[in-house]
Amino acid sequence: MTLIAIIILPLIASVLCWIAAIGKRVAAPITMVTFLTLLALAVRVAFQVSANGQLVAIPGWIEADSLGTLILLLVTIVGVLACFYSLGYMPRTTHDKGLLYHYYGNLNLFIFSMVAVPVVVGPSVAWLAVEFTTLLSVLLVGFESSREALEAAWKYAMITLTGASIALFGFLILFWGMRQAGGDSYTWAGLQSVAPQMSPVLMKTAFLTILVGFGAKVGLVPLHTWLPDAHSQAPTPVCALLSGVETTAVLYVILRLLPIAHVVLGTGGERWALIFGLFSVGIAAFLLIQVHDYKRLFAFSTVEHMGIILTAAGLGGAAAHYGAMYQIVSHALTKSLCFFAAGTVLMVTGTRDIVSVKGLIRRSPIAGSALLFGGLAIAGAPPFAVFLGEFAILKAGMEQGKYLAVALLACFLVIAFFGILLHINRMVLGRSNVEFSGNRGIPWPCVLTLAFVAIPVMVFGVYVPQPLHQILMRAALIIGG
Amino acid sequence: MFARIVFNIVQVFVVMLFAPLLAGTVSRLKEIVQSKHGPSIFQPYRDIWKLFHKREYISEQSSWIFRFTPIIVFVTPIFVALLIPVLTSYPLFFAFMGDMLGGGFILALGGFFATLAAVDTGNPYGPMGASRTRLVGFLAEPVFMIVFFTVSFVAGSTIPYIVQQRWVNPISNFFEPTHILVMLAFYMLILAEGGRIPVDNPSGHFELAMIDESKGLEYSGSGAALMKWGGEMKFFVLICIFLNVLVAPWGLARTISVKELAIAIPLVLAKVFLFVLTLVAVECSLAKLRLFRISEFLGAAFVISVAAMIAWVFAV
Amino acid sequence: MTYSTQAATILTQLNALAGAFFLLSTFGMVATRQVQGCLRFFILQSLFLASSAVLLGLHPLSWHLIGVGIINFINKPIIIPWLLRRTISEEVYKRREITQALNIPISLLIALGLTISAYYLAAPLLQVGAGLPALINLPIGVATLLLGAYILTVRREAVPQLLGLLAMENGAFFASIAIAPELHLFVELVVAFDVLIAVFVIGVLTRAIHENIGTTNVGALAALKEE
Repeated sequence: MTLIAIIILPLIASVLCWIAAIGKRVAAPITMVTFLTLLALAVRVAFQVSANGQLVAIPGWIEADSLGTLILLLVTIVGVLACFYSLGYMPRTTHDKGLLYHYYGNLNLFIFSMVAVPVVVGPSVAWLAVEFTTLLSVLLVGFESSREALEAAWKYAMITLTGASIALFGFLILFWGMRQAGGDSYTWAGLQSVAPQMSPVLMKTAFLTILVGFGAKVGLVPLHTWLPDAHSQAPTPVCALLSGVETTAVLYVILRLLPIAHVVLGTGGERWALIFGLFSVGIAAFLLIQVHDYKRLFAFSTVEHMGIILTAAGLGGAAAHYGAMYQIVSHALTKSLCFFAAGTVLMVTGTRDIVSVKGLIRRSPIAGSALLFGGLAIAGAPPFAVFLGEFAILKAGMEQGKYLAVALLACFLVIAFFGILLHINRMVLGRSNVEFSGNRGIPWPCVLTLAFVAIPVMVFGVYVPQPLHQILMRAALIIGG
Repeated sequence: MFARIVFNIVQVFVVMLFAPLLAGTVSRLKEIVQSKHGPSIFQPYRDIWKLFHKREYISEQSSWIFRFTPIIVFVTPIFVALLIPVLTSYPLFFAFMGDMLGGGFILALGGFFATLAAVDTGNPYGPMGASRTRLVGFLAEPVFMIVFFTVSFVAGSTIPYIVQQRWVNPISNFFEPTHILVMLAFYMLILAEGGRIPVDNPSGHFELAMIDESKGLEYSGSGAALMKWGGEMKFFVLICIFLNVLVAPWGLARTISVKELAIAIPLVLAKVFLFVLTLVAVECSLAKLRLFRISEFLGAAFVISVAAMIAWVFAV
Repeated sequence: MTYSTQAATILTQLNALAGAFFLLSTFGMVATRQVQGCLRFFILQSLFLASSAVLLGLHPLSWHLIGVGIINFINKPIIIPWLLRRTISEEVYKRREITQALNIPISLLIALGLTISAYYLAAPLLQVGAGLPALINLPIGVATLLLGAYILTVRREAVPQLLGLLAMENGAFFASIAIAPELHLFVELVVAFDVLIAVFVIGVLTRAIHENIGTTNVGALAALKEE
């Protein structure tokens, strides 16, 4: 019941927001209440799942296990934060405040599509949910209606929908493979149970097409080109959602396939994941250096982190999988922090250009320190959560004896570290010589959001709470098969 | 043996006799569709008759090529008519001399001499038309090739008598995508090679826009008659190849008997008439393409012919 | 040969014919100059997709495949053009020549190359599926997938890009008629709905681009190019 409520609730809220008479007045409160309720429900699901192992709402269609719950929790947490941030951010930056209820209506739909991905168990339905995450967020990306925003939205729609079509073919092949192996329930579990009889050719084709197709949506190189555009042009709270959890939710679908591929292909699937992952980390690490726009900087960092998670999943073994799960959590939280900080900087300075921002910390201590904090955290400086995750992955790789992959990964991580901090340094520190055009004051919801999200980013770096540890362990086991 | 030789000669006479009728029918039907009265369907016979009784003028500057070309243009379709199935579904006496590719080469020879002759006299319109014909020709050539290759690939032979049986034996083969696509591609080729709309306007009288017609502008008297008759026969032969080899061998004589042959003549003419109806429909509903769009028309034909081959490869 | 097997053979041939025309209409989408023409070829393509499903559903009788055919028949040739007309004002896609990055004969040649390579891509799958009655749908579907992606890359106008996307989806479903004929009808319905939402959202986006930037030549948008 809880799961069905989680799916239906944002739809109702969205309808309410779209009705102009209601939406124009109370769209923001409705959305806030909905998201908080979603979070509460997700926590309840988490407790039930940790007690029973899984939660079944409609057998064969809507179920949740530890891995799904983890994604669900992240989506709702970042959703709440983004919504809260919007309360301060959107009225400040939107030209036409009368249209804000469109924004909230869309935001609800977007959240609907993202909570749907981890709780549906049919691959075909999961494909649909992923397709909806694109369709329902395209208009959010283009919300500011500037030339750049619309271009970004167009690229986003075209590339990710192309990827989705390729993935659709993969899912159809997967269905074929399942039927050929004698299975008749097209769910993740059903696939897993017939995996030993499945034809390797079909599995390989399906896995690769899905990896490439959904890889476009996750932002894997070479189909990542839309990501820096969309993730930098969307309104900041949407950026946090796109970068923090949407990519992760799609990656979740790919990760779901790994154990099935493992049974059919041996390490074949993992090898492809490793190759794609390392390639993305490497390219993103170098691209990070040449950006001129600090929101793009964080967007490229998302490409890098998606690569890291996929690499970790590809390394194999419980420890690496645990690292991947941990990295999913820390990336989602840290990246949303980064975008919130970037949005604050944008409000203060009115520019996205890295070069025109100098000595930020003197002008606006809050924005400056938030950006520095976020930059350090996402680059992987100790003692933040990302550092712990990356360290765990490298260590697991060493134990596996995959020295080449580990060496490459470590090398790319160092490059990315310097790339990010190079830009952040220039912006935050130094002598300020530019008059900022933006408004100096920062709305209180934004400050509060920054404070909220900074706590787990720091705490998880030194201490992992026992319930979280439990969920992560179970989720890692699911990927391991 | 004797019957086969006679039948073969009958076949040639049928081609020679009815080719002008075909041209007359097409133009008459077009006029009717366009709400005009138009000339009688026997007008081409009168034209040829009249031209044979006129004096022939030949430029002093021209060479032997100019004088020989009408004969070659006239003779080549006759040779082809010896090879292909016009009336019978079994090979006649001379059919051993060449297959479909051979027929294609013979027709190309006529086209080659017509081009040379157009350049020969120094008339400015001749070379222009010749170069345009070559443009159409070498765009059409690859399509011809692919069509013939596909057909021989499917039937396992380039002999037209084997190919034609392939499409109806069993009958479900008729609906093969390869067959339908090959038919489509070849139909477009006939439009291009026969100088029909949308590639060329056969009834146009404006020299600058001509493609096919301007090559024969310099001829007069019996030369002009032979060129005209030869061109009509070539068109008839192409249609026969299309209808009897590429579509289906329906209505052809199956055994060596005079009766069947006598029935086959009206049946084949009826098939040709059906073809003429589609041709008129196409010609009356399309406009002539600009010269540089012709490459797109033939490009489409090329794609269709390759799609025919792909469909065959995919299906196996 | 009994009557039943002969009917089955003819149906298989007709299905192959529908497949060939399906592929040809995709070529038409590559080659055509007008946005309207592109839309017409897309409608044709969808009709052939629907007819392929119905033909294969006739013998042996499968209401499921016929249902797929009917869904596709109503959805793509009827609702989508209507939706496009409603969301995108007439002047955006009427009487407009499409600029494209390559000229048409070269495009066609590349499209042919893609089709042939699709066959080689699908070859290992064909071996697995040997014996399926509608196996020809698989390579044609793969080819259409590639051609759709090609249309997307080469076309610069908004609506043809969208149509390329839809062509890709059609390709995947054309293949699915051969390989996944038992896919849940509910999923097919929701996918049809999803395609409609895609058309609607992208239509709205196109209109926003047209209103704010004054062009639908999305290929020319390059404000975000770095380097």
